[in-house]
Amino acid sequence: MQQQKSRRLLRSAALALGLFAGLAGAAQAADAIRIGSPLALTGALASEGAKQKLAYDLWLKRINAVGGIQVGDRKLPVELVTYDYQTDGKRAGQLAEKLITDDKVDFLTAPFGSGHTKITAAVAERYGVPIVAVASSEPVHDQGFRFLFGTLAPSSGLIDGMLDVFRKAKPDVKKIAILGRDDVFPKIMASLMAKGAEKAGLSVVYNELYPVGTMDHATAITSMKSAAPDWIYVTGYTADLVLVAKQMSDLGLKAPIVTMITGPAYKEFVDTLGPLAENITSASWWHYSAAYEGDDVFGTTKAFYDEVLAASGQEPDYVHASSAAALITLQKAIEKAGTLDREAVRKALTELDIKTFYGPIKFRADGLNDNRDLPIIQIQGGKPVVLAPAAIASAEMKLN
Amino acid sequence: MDLLQILVNGIVLGALYACIAVGFSLVWGVLNVINMLHGSFIILGGYLTFFAWFHLGVDPILALPAVALLLYALGYALQYLFINKVVTSPVLTTLTLTFGLDMILYNLMTVYFTATPRRVTLDMGSADILGVVMPMDRVLGMGLAFFLTGLLYLVMRGSTIGRAIVAVRMDRQAAALMGIRVNNIYAITFGIGALMAGAAGAVFAMVFPVTTNLTGTFLGKAFVICVIGGLGSVPGALVGGIALGVIESFAGFLIGPQHAITLGFVLMLVLLVVKPTGLIGVKGYE
Repeated sequence: MQQQKSRRLLRSAALALGLFAGLAGAAQAADAIRIGSPLALTGALASEGAKQKLAYDLWLKRINAVGGIQVGDRKLPVELVTYDYQTDGKRAGQLAEKLITDDKVDFLTAPFGSGHTKITAAVAERYGVPIVAVASSEPVHDQGFRFLFGTLAPSSGLIDGMLDVFRKAKPDVKKIAILGRDDVFPKIMASLMAKGAEKAGLSVVYNELYPVGTMDHATAITSMKSAAPDWIYVTGYTADLVLVAKQMSDLGLKAPIVTMITGPAYKEFVDTLGPLAENITSASWWHYSAAYEGDDVFGTTKAFYDEVLAASGQEPDYVHASSAAALITLQKAIEKAGTLDREAVRKALTELDIKTFYGPIKFRADGLNDNRDLPIIQIQGGKPVVLAPAAIASAEMKLN
Repeated sequence: MDLLQILVNGIVLGALYACIAVGFSLVWGVLNVINMLHGSFIILGGYLTFFAWFHLGVDPILALPAVALLLYALGYALQYLFINKVVTSPVLTTLTLTFGLDMILYNLMTVYFTATPRRVTLDMGSADILGVVMPMDRVLGMGLAFFLTGLLYLVMRGSTIGRAIVAVRMDRQAAALMGIRVNNIYAITFGIGALMAGAAGAVFAMVFPVTTNLTGTFLGKAFVICVIGGLGSVPGALVGGIALGVIESFAGFLIGPQHAITLGFVLMLVLLVVKPTGLIGVKGYE
């Protein structure tokens, strides 16, 4: 009797176990690839977040139209799981964790910007989930993250490019004034320029940072004015740069070369400033006039340009392009690995060497996209034109 | 010449700061409510002015009174419907309530107006007096700031409503016994606070790019200015604002802009220790 009972117990336990294993098997043989993305759809980075989402949606539509991504011998459709983290860094981290543990996504993309990339990349690293960033710079990639990859090229490439082009356009440029926002990316762009300019033999006559939330730049501008620089170089986000440009004009600060990182890459910058934006130069990671061809879902830069323009009425900037490129790299790495295994996909990402509408993508050891010719732009006649590299240049540089 | 220019920059900025702080100071002094909504009120005023100018072509100076009145109505309603229910509770309760209301207003603005910076492009040029450059739109902003704070000062001193507000501030119970409808006075005071914020927002839209993520910055400034100048008095806000503007301006010049804002907070801390009433505050409202 006792024996019989225990045998029955054993049998039901075995049955339960079998059922469980069957379920787990079903869960493992996923019928879709899930990619998780915390996005800044509200808050300070809402406009960048919206661009990121638009690019993702366009890619998603195209990839699922061809049946999805080839994983080994099967083709799996892609599902994008997104949340609004409201431009709140802490929330971005929590949502990255939720995406991994709760939504069980296979891979992640990082939100816009270095600060929030750093936070989500740390979470992804802890769980061993490959994460592709759309806008991240050196201070994020020097943390030893193994699972982080970024589609932008290193910021130092932007600096070298500008020094080259501007010194050619104005060989007698001697004095540079640098004003940078005390924040991850703008700060590194300011300090890299200070180093680069000194190395190139320029004298740095003003080099200061301003804190996040600065409402007035009159003092910095007055100080720069006394230093009479040939080149004014300011870093920050659109609202900061609009204010600086406005106050420069108010207080009569002028220089033959005025550079703002990364304001002029954005349409909003030109719209808000109007004529004050004229002749301001910048460097960007991507510009639509640099035509590339690739074997991704968009195929050509022109096709991507047309699609973004049709969908939003806006010309694409680097945020759109870099975001779409992030998903393309994930797709290519999954195809190369032939599995959804995270470690295998990570390895495939490290070995990736592809051509896309966005340009070539090949990751360095630190996960940044390997350096290439980055476009230097200038606002002329209310529109950004490309000054360099020579192959895609559309105008000559104008000095103030 | 630089020093003179820095001083002028500081005073012009300080007048704008005073404009930010005066409504906040009034509400805090009279109602003992730390109004977390104040920054969002300013931005709302700025956006309304921008939209009136951009879509309807209304001159910002003409839009200012209309925007200010709209904000007054909003402030009055919020106080009457919500804050009055808890206005006699400890300050943390009202702080939490206005904090919650602020989150709603802030996020509504971010969703409907987006965080894209917007600016009324007057670009009126600059005047150059003996080598000191004065941007005309900022001078106009300064003029409006002085005018508005002056007007509020006169209203507080000379009108029945103003005297009633002062009476409620001095002694709520005695004022009620004298026949003053205290809840109504509270709502009016909060409304005036919002009105001043809306007017400040209209002034700011002419000078600064307005974006929703500035709300916290405005609130922080208002807080520091009130502590420096002294709570609950119009002259206090004016003195505090100009003091902060000039200090930030010189600090930016002497020790670099990176630490200029810190110095404002250091001054606030020092004042809290040595003179908690602020530079010209009234004793009992520290």
